[in-house]
Amino acid sequence: MTQILAQFLIILVVAFVAGTIGSLLGLGGGIIVIPALTLFLHIDFRLAAGASIVSIIATSSGSAATYVKDRLSNIRVGMFLEILTSVGAVCGAFLAGLVTGSALYVVFALVLMYSLYPMGKKIALELGWRVQPFGRHKADNAAPDAFAAKLGFSSSYYDPAVKREISYDLHHVPAGATIMYFAGLASGLLGIGSGVFKVVALDTAMGMPMKASTATSNFMIGVTAAASAGIYFLRGDIDPLIAAPVALGVLGGSMIGTRLLARLAGVSIRIIFFIVLAIISIQMILKGFGVSL
Amino acid sequence: MVSIVLRTGVIVSAGVIVVGLILLAFNGLAGMTGGIATAMNFPHTFGAVLSGVVKLDPVSVITLGLLLMIITPVTRVAVSIIAFAMERDWRYVGITTVVLIVLLVSFALGKAGS
Repeated sequence: MTQILAQFLIILVVAFVAGTIGSLLGLGGGIIVIPALTLFLHIDFRLAAGASIVSIIATSSGSAATYVKDRLSNIRVGMFLEILTSVGAVCGAFLAGLVTGSALYVVFALVLMYSLYPMGKKIALELGWRVQPFGRHKADNAAPDAFAAKLGFSSSYYDPAVKREISYDLHHVPAGATIMYFAGLASGLLGIGSGVFKVVALDTAMGMPMKASTATSNFMIGVTAAASAGIYFLRGDIDPLIAAPVALGVLGGSMIGTRLLARLAGVSIRIIFFIVLAIISIQMILKGFGVSL
Repeated sequence: MVSIVLRTGVIVSAGVIVVGLILLAFNGLAGMTGGIATAMNFPHTFGAVLSGVVKLDPVSVITLGLLLMIITPVTRVAVSIIAFAMERDWRYVGITTVVLIVLLVSFALGKAGS
């Protein structure tokens, strides 16, 4: 009995710390909490993914509530693309039941490394290195997309930083939609939010401004996760004694992280986490190949 | 309206999980004798969860909270259909209905595959 409570508290604390770090770094909780659960607490990858997917729904629903009000997220674009992310997530969740645990570790490590790429670029920019900012799309002289026009994707939002209304059109909808399918696949396969891939589809492929992309991605993450969570649950991969402390811990941690963001997320702290996460991604690969350190 | 659904969903789910935890702290696990809790049998069908909740089984109550959390975005999609219908945006009523069908099918498929 006390053992169960102790285990519960340990997972709660680990998830809380993971949720705080995830939101401080803008990476989301899942991609931090899964290495924490698998590498430190030696929890099976699928149970960690099942717990993570519920925590992602919790944090996405919590923060989407504010974004929807802010009019930053483009609900029409999000809803249309959710067709692709949710189908992808269903495929990913089934795939997770078919492939070996080793493969999941390796794919996870690759996704984590890719997620670190925009963070690395941002750090490099702040250090004054000459790099192209992540996600900056090329000059928008691409022809307006027929799909985007038909689906009413053009929108605008008020940006308090520049004190004016920013309006935008979207293009390359088929390319963005294809990336969204794979974002959903990664989400269902690994139990993560796939926010980085969603932002790539919206910002880089379709030309949505970064602020709107981030908000729309956040809005979409919960629905994508719900499409695979049901499959995880019915397969028995959502262990309540793991998933409950993970969901509560990540939710609480991400709420604290958002508040600390302005004060704590200085460049030196992010460099430290960048290095730690790079090491963790290598550890995940090694674990996938059966090497443990 | 959409943000009310999301916020209510998160608060209610978290509340049910906490109630389950309190039950767990007071009652313990029925038929639980040491060992690692992760290896034990936990309910993973909707029927098993509901019958456990009726008996106030702590783990079933916690699982109910997790299920409510999972259902929150699904409810949001359903409410969005109504919101688009009120705007008479029938194209988006259709698109959102497709999303809802995918979500519902995922639960049905998961059941068939388990």
